[in-house]
Amino acid sequence: MPTLTERLTKGGSPKVNVERYRTIRTIVLVAVTAVAAGGFLLEIPRIQILEHTARNLYFHVPMWFTLMAAVLVSAYHSLRFLQTGDLRRDVRAREAALVGVVFGILGLLTGMVWARFTWYQGTNIWWNFDPKQSMAAVQLLIYGAYLVLRTAFDEPQKRGRIAAVYNLFALVTVPFLLYILPRQAPSLHPGADGNPAFSDFTAPSMRWVLYPAFASFIGLFWVIYTQRVRAALLKLRLYGDTD
Amino acid sequence: MLRWLHGAWAVFEKDIKLELRSRYAINTMLLFVLSALFLTAFAVGQETLTPRIESALLWIVIVFAAALGLGRSFVSEQERGTVLLLLLHTQGGMVYAGKLLFNFLFVLGLNLLAMATFVLLVGVQVVAPGLLLTTLVLGALGLAGATTLLAAIIARTATRGPLLPVLVFPMLIPLLLAVVTATRHALPDGQGWSAVGDELLTLVGFAGVVISASIILFDYVWYD
Amino acid sequence: MREPPLPSLRDGRQEMPADTAEAIYDTLWSTSEIPTRAPEGIERVMLAEDKLYVVLAVVLIIWFGLIFFLLRTDRRLDTLEREVEDRIPDNQPPA
Repeated sequence: MPTLTERLTKGGSPKVNVERYRTIRTIVLVAVTAVAAGGFLLEIPRIQILEHTARNLYFHVPMWFTLMAAVLVSAYHSLRFLQTGDLRRDVRAREAALVGVVFGILGLLTGMVWARFTWYQGTNIWWNFDPKQSMAAVQLLIYGAYLVLRTAFDEPQKRGRIAAVYNLFALVTVPFLLYILPRQAPSLHPGADGNPAFSDFTAPSMRWVLYPAFASFIGLFWVIYTQRVRAALLKLRLYGDTD
Repeated sequence: MLRWLHGAWAVFEKDIKLELRSRYAINTMLLFVLSALFLTAFAVGQETLTPRIESALLWIVIVFAAALGLGRSFVSEQERGTVLLLLLHTQGGMVYAGKLLFNFLFVLGLNLLAMATFVLLVGVQVVAPGLLLTTLVLGALGLAGATTLLAAIIARTATRGPLLPVLVFPMLIPLLLAVVTATRHALPDGQGWSAVGDELLTLVGFAGVVISASIILFDYVWYD
Repeated sequence: MREPPLPSLRDGRQEMPADTAEAIYDTLWSTSEIPTRAPEGIERVMLAEDKLYVVLAVVLIIWFGLIFFLLRTDRRLDTLEREVEDRIPDNQPPA
């Protein structure tokens, strides 16, 4: 039984454990269904402006946790690819980025709709360069560039190596955004300077849905990602090519 | 270590000599900056600009010019077929350091030129010249640091085309925000040094992190 | 005919001292300055039933986004299947 440090430094196998995948898939699908039902059925405290839309916490916020998870997974496999040169790592890095982009776009869209009818109600503002919104947009731009960069190569090893370099290189600049963006524009998001923190307006009862929602949407990301990895690994075996 | 510095310096010296011989990049950038600033000035017309907009326009021109100019720094090696020689005689780190130094001076010159032209054309008043100069130097360092590795990546692509701006712009957003704010405080109505400590710190940190990451990652791009 | 209910929001994009920023939150989070004029257009739909339809819209966006992505994965599997078929003809048992 390898210790945690060993597993982190050596990493797991890049293959897909199909049996484990099936088990987790079933759990995740049930959990997401339960979260969706619970999100609508359970009572929530009414807050002015937010009204029922506080329920969006269960659906919009997990998108961001999912994007963060995707970023971590993608960066990890890029790093492992640079260490090992195993093309399956490259496949995983790309699929994580791609699925992350999908969840990121969903997060942006849901956020826009939510904000339009609460914070910006009565105006016609859909986009206001809120720091969190800008962060997500920049991360999506980076992944867009990453995916475009991949198409510029024919040779899989070279493509994987250079894409991995870009993936990691672009990632080191993101923390600066965390620091500099809030100085440019005030954030309306909870927890940002002076706003009521997350816990102030999430009643304890809401956490019974909120935390499972985070877990199950990250699980959903993992399921979709693994599904795509399976297809991509099959293609890799057929052609010896990743894209 | 000494050998390493020597190698980096040799790469840098070679680039400078080649550049001074043809002046291709310098002249192109000179004209690019001039015409871009002229376009900006004409587009703005007689409108009086706020310091915020002035610094934003200036840095947009600089960032575009840098992305265009630095994209050549490794492609030219490929075209002249000198990559093999560099691979044989130097290590990756030396090549990176030499190129970085060259690119830094290149962007710094670009910044100074753009700033001077902008001041003359648009009639910007500079209240804190020292702060402005510091911002230009730190901005040049960050720009060159972020772009040099990506220029090496561009040289490896099959098309070697206009991909560099796409790759570099999302990364430059923190740099751009800090630099624009710092520049704004050096212009009228700004608060000078006292207001931009965090921005300058960000610039230093950005350049440091980007250059360190480049040094680690450069070998993966440089060697096959 | 539209009054600006959140006046300083757009201007608030530039950096600003903390107290101004807090003033904005106050107008947003306190109950006093909620716009009172009758909603029109799309807002008439979205603000009904205590804004429950906003939640519906959000859930549907996520649902359709995921469906769209699933269908793309499906297409990808289709092409892969065809490629496998091409390599292993039907009349031969797979090795």
